[in-house]
Amino acid sequence: MCRRELRANNSGQLLIVGALAIAILISVTTVYVYELGNETNSVDVRSINNFILAIKQSTRNTMISSLANVSNGGERIVLTANLDKLSEIVRNLHQFGISQLNFGVLNDSVYDSGIWLSWNTNNLGVSSACANFTLKVYGIGVNVSLDYAFNITTSIVVNGYYIKLANEEKMVNLTCRVYNEGEYALVKEFNIFYEKFGEWKPVNSLNGLSIINYGNGTYTISFTADTPSEKVQVLVNTYDLRDIFVQANTTCSEV
Amino acid sequence: MRSQNTGQIRIIEAFLAVLIIFTSFTIASNLTVRPNIKKSEDLASIGFQALIKLDSDGTLGKLIDHKNWTAIRDAFDIVLPTGICFNLTVYDDEMHQINDSVISNGSFSSQEIAFVEYVCASQSTVFRCYIVCLQLAVAQ
Repeated sequence: MCRRELRANNSGQLLIVGALAIAILISVTTVYVYELGNETNSVDVRSINNFILAIKQSTRNTMISSLANVSNGGERIVLTANLDKLSEIVRNLHQFGISQLNFGVLNDSVYDSGIWLSWNTNNLGVSSACANFTLKVYGIGVNVSLDYAFNITTSIVVNGYYIKLANEEKMVNLTCRVYNEGEYALVKEFNIFYEKFGEWKPVNSLNGLSIINYGNGTYTISFTADTPSEKVQVLVNTYDLRDIFVQANTTCSEV
Repeated sequence: MRSQNTGQIRIIEAFLAVLIIFTSFTIASNLTVRPNIKKSEDLASIGFQALIKLDSDGTLGKLIDHKNWTAIRDAFDIVLPTGICFNLTVYDDEMHQINDSVISNGSFSSQEIAFVEYVCASQSTVFRCYIVCLQLAVAQ
């Protein structure tokens, strides 16, 4: 009698343990399925991230193109016009729903219509474009709003001195440092001029022009200048690899 | 008789438990037949990365400006992992196709095709904007 009761009791306990085990299995499976679902969603997020990255890349390229245009003599309004065109194209993309790119060009003490060209300051030349952007992407399960800004700047720093040669001839030595967005950058070409009787004389092979590229944005330039003045005014203009034009002047003294 | 019944019930219980476990696994495996979508999204991601890489220094825009379709195909051959087929179509800002030759590395045999739409802004002084449509598939 006592044995029977014990058996019956045990059977109930086993059933509870079995039910618990099954419940745990179901729960684990549910969690597993839920996590897999989440993983799939994260892939979606990655695609949108790539899309945003691509739009940012296009924005940057547009700003580079605009600055190259303006620094080569184009109107400042080109930046706004080009960004308008880009925004219109982005609006027509529907891969992730509706995309909207809004922008504002910087206007302050130095930037006018998002452009700053400072070429007459001694030793330093700057060509720069700056704008703020808001990218919005709406779609099924997508609602992204991102603020970002781009400042595209090519700058050149020129320093120099000269050594007196025979008669009025002077050996001018310059050090130029070129930067893109504050990082060392390379250039496509240099055009150098020196002042003689109020005129800018171009420097070429006849002046024994020598340019050494150190590969890290630093260039040393040397040439002979035939001028009677005690201070030699030198003008250096250059195009970086993005075709952005910048120039700077410097006054060289005898050492 | 009772103890026999208890044994049968145990067996039935065990069967039921096994059935529940298998059912749950079957449902789980059916619910997770999403790798197809996942694969396609992976392909799209690879496509985006390739386009961004080629466009980071303005190379892609420059090649399109010069209508150098062969160079574009070669560049994608290098940038994309082996075993991925691609087909590229370039449109201008008014959606007129501008590539007059096929930019592809073979025909698509896979049913799994990813599509990527990319805005390529040229860095040249004269601003041009292109829409690059890239289709990708795993070669079989």
